Amino acid sequence: MAGGVARSYRGLSIPLRKPAFLLVPALVVYGSLFVAAVIYFFAMSFWSVKSFRIVPQFTLANYHSVLTVNVKPFLITLAVAFLVGMTATVIGFLYAWIIRFRAGRFGSALLFIALLTLFGGYLMKIYAWKTMLGGNGAINSALISLGIIDSPIESLLYSPLAVVISLSHFLLPFTILSSYASLRGIDDAEIDSARDLGATPWRILLDITIPRARSGLLAGFSLAYLISTGDYLTAQFVGGKMALYGQLIAPQFGTFFNWPLGAAMSFSILATSTMIISLVAFCLSRIGRP
Amino acid sequence: MKPMNVFWAFVKVILVVVLLSPLVLVVLFAFSDRAISNFPITGFSLRWWRDMFEFSSFWGAFKNSMIVGAWVGVLTAVIGTLASLGLLMLPQRRANLLLLALALPLMLPPLFLGIMLLVWYLFLGLQLGLMTVVFSHLLIALPFFIIVVYARLQSFDLIAVDAARDLGASPLRAFMTVTLPIIQPVIVGAALMAVALSLDDFILASFTIGGGNTLPIMVMSTLRTSVTPMTNAVGTLLIALSISFMLVALRLTRYRG
Repeated sequence: MAGGVARSYRGLSIPLRKPAFLLVPALVVYGSLFVAAVIYFFAMSFWSVKSFRIVPQFTLANYHSVLTVNVKPFLITLAVAFLVGMTATVIGFLYAWIIRFRAGRFGSALLFIALLTLFGGYLMKIYAWKTMLGGNGAINSALISLGIIDSPIESLLYSPLAVVISLSHFLLPFTILSSYASLRGIDDAEIDSARDLGATPWRILLDITIPRARSGLLAGFSLAYLISTGDYLTAQFVGGKMALYGQLIAPQFGTFFNWPLGAAMSFSILATSTMIISLVAFCLSRIGRP
Repeated sequence: MKPMNVFWAFVKVILVVVLLSPLVLVVLFAFSDRAISNFPITGFSLRWWRDMFEFSSFWGAFKNSMIVGAWVGVLTAVIGTLASLGLLMLPQRRANLLLLALALPLMLPPLFLGIMLLVWYLFLGLQLGLMTVVFSHLLIALPFFIIVVYARLQSFDLIAVDAARDLGASPLRAFMTVTLPIIQPVIVGAALMAVALSLDDFILASFTIGGGNTLPIMVMSTLRTSVTPMTNAVGTLLIALSISFMLVALRLTRYRG
C-alpha cells in the first residue's frame, strides 16, 4: 500500500498551488460540450418547427405527441431494454463471480478477454450476429453440418430474441467489469467464516456476495439499460419488423427534420428509464436484508 | 469436488465462446474463399483484403480515422493527465463525486450524445467535419481516460518525488524528472485506450462528421448497399487495430477493471 505519501500534495510535485487549476481544461471541455449542450437540447424540446425552421417559442406539443404517438414502440423499448439489462447483468455477474471465486489462475485470462471484447467494434458485433443468426448463417450451417438439425431455423434472425441476444452480448463486457470491480472488494475470510459456520453456498451468495456486489450490479444494469433504450442500429439489422424507439428518434435528425420532437422523445425515454432504474435499485437494496 | 470442477470448467468455456465467437467469426470469414459468410469454410483466400485495399473510399476513410484517433489520443492525454493529477490532490470524497459527474456522458446512449452534439455544433456555427468528430470523441474518451489513470495513480508511491524536492530540485524539475517518468506508461496506455475508443465509434462520428468517412462509417455504408465478405476484412482490420492498441495499453497501464 502506498499509504499517505502518494496522496500528499507535495509528493506529486506539481508546480501549482491549487489543484483546481489542473481540472480547468477538463471542466471546460465538459461544460462546453456536455452541460451546455444538454441545456440547449432540453430547451429545444419545448420549441417547434414551422416550414423547416425551428421556432424558439415555448410549447408542450412535443411532449404531448410523445404521450400520444408511438406509445407502443416506447413501451416495447423499455421492455426490451429491461430484458437486455437483466440478461447482461446476470451473465456478467456469473462471469465476474467465476473470475473472482472459481477460476484460480485463469481468472486474469478471463478478465483480459472481457477487457478485450470491450472493443472490437459495435457495428462489427451486430454484423457478426446477423451473419451468425441468419438462415444460412454460421449457427444454422454449423448445426446442419453437425447433423443436429435438418433444415435451418429461420426464426433466429429478425426477431426480438435476436435483438436481445445481440445487445446483451455487446453490453456483457461492461456488466462483467462493473460486477468484478465490486466482487474484488470481498474479503475471502468473510466467506470462509460463513462457510465454517455452516452457511450453504446459496446463503453465502444471497447474504454476502450479492449485497456486497450491489453497487457493481446496479452500475452494470443501469449502463446496459440506458444504452439499450437509445439503440437504433441493432434492431434495424437483426430485429425484423420490430422497431425500437431509437429508430424513431434518429430520423428526426435526418429525413424528418424535427429536432424539437426528437429532443422531447430523447428526454422522455431517458427520464422514464431513470425512474425504472431507481425502482430496480430499490428492489436490489431489499436483497440480503433481514 | 471433481464433478463440480468439470461443471465450472464447462460454464467457463461456454461463456468465453459466447463472448468471443462473433469476433472470431468475422476474422475467420475475412480469410474464407466463399462469397457467403457461413460454414463450412472450404478454402483460404485473401481476395476480400485485395477488394478492401482497392475499394474507392477505403484509404480516405482510413486516413480520417487515423487523423481523428491521433487528435483524440493527444488531446485526451494532455487534458486527462492534468485532470487526473488535479483529482488526486482533492480530498477523496470530492474527487469521487467529480469523477461520477464527469462519467455521465459514458452512461448516456451514444445516439443521444450524437444528436445533442450535432444540434449544439450547428448552434455554435461550427463547420461539421473531422474536428467536430474529435470534440465528440473527446467527450467520451476523456472520462474513460481519467477513470483509468486516476485509479492507477492512487496506487503509486511517489515518495521519490519528495526525495528529489528535499535534495533541492525545483517543483517543476521534480515533476519533469521524477513524477512524469513514473506515471508515463499509464498515460500512454490510457491514451491508446482513448484511440481505440475513437476508432471503434460509429454513432457519434456519423452524426457529427457532416459529410466524410471514417472506417466504421464506411463499414456502415457497405453493410447498407451490398453484402460482400469485404466487410469482414474491414471489420477484421478494425478489430485488429483496436485490440492491438488495447493489448499495448493493458500492458502499459496494468489496469484490470
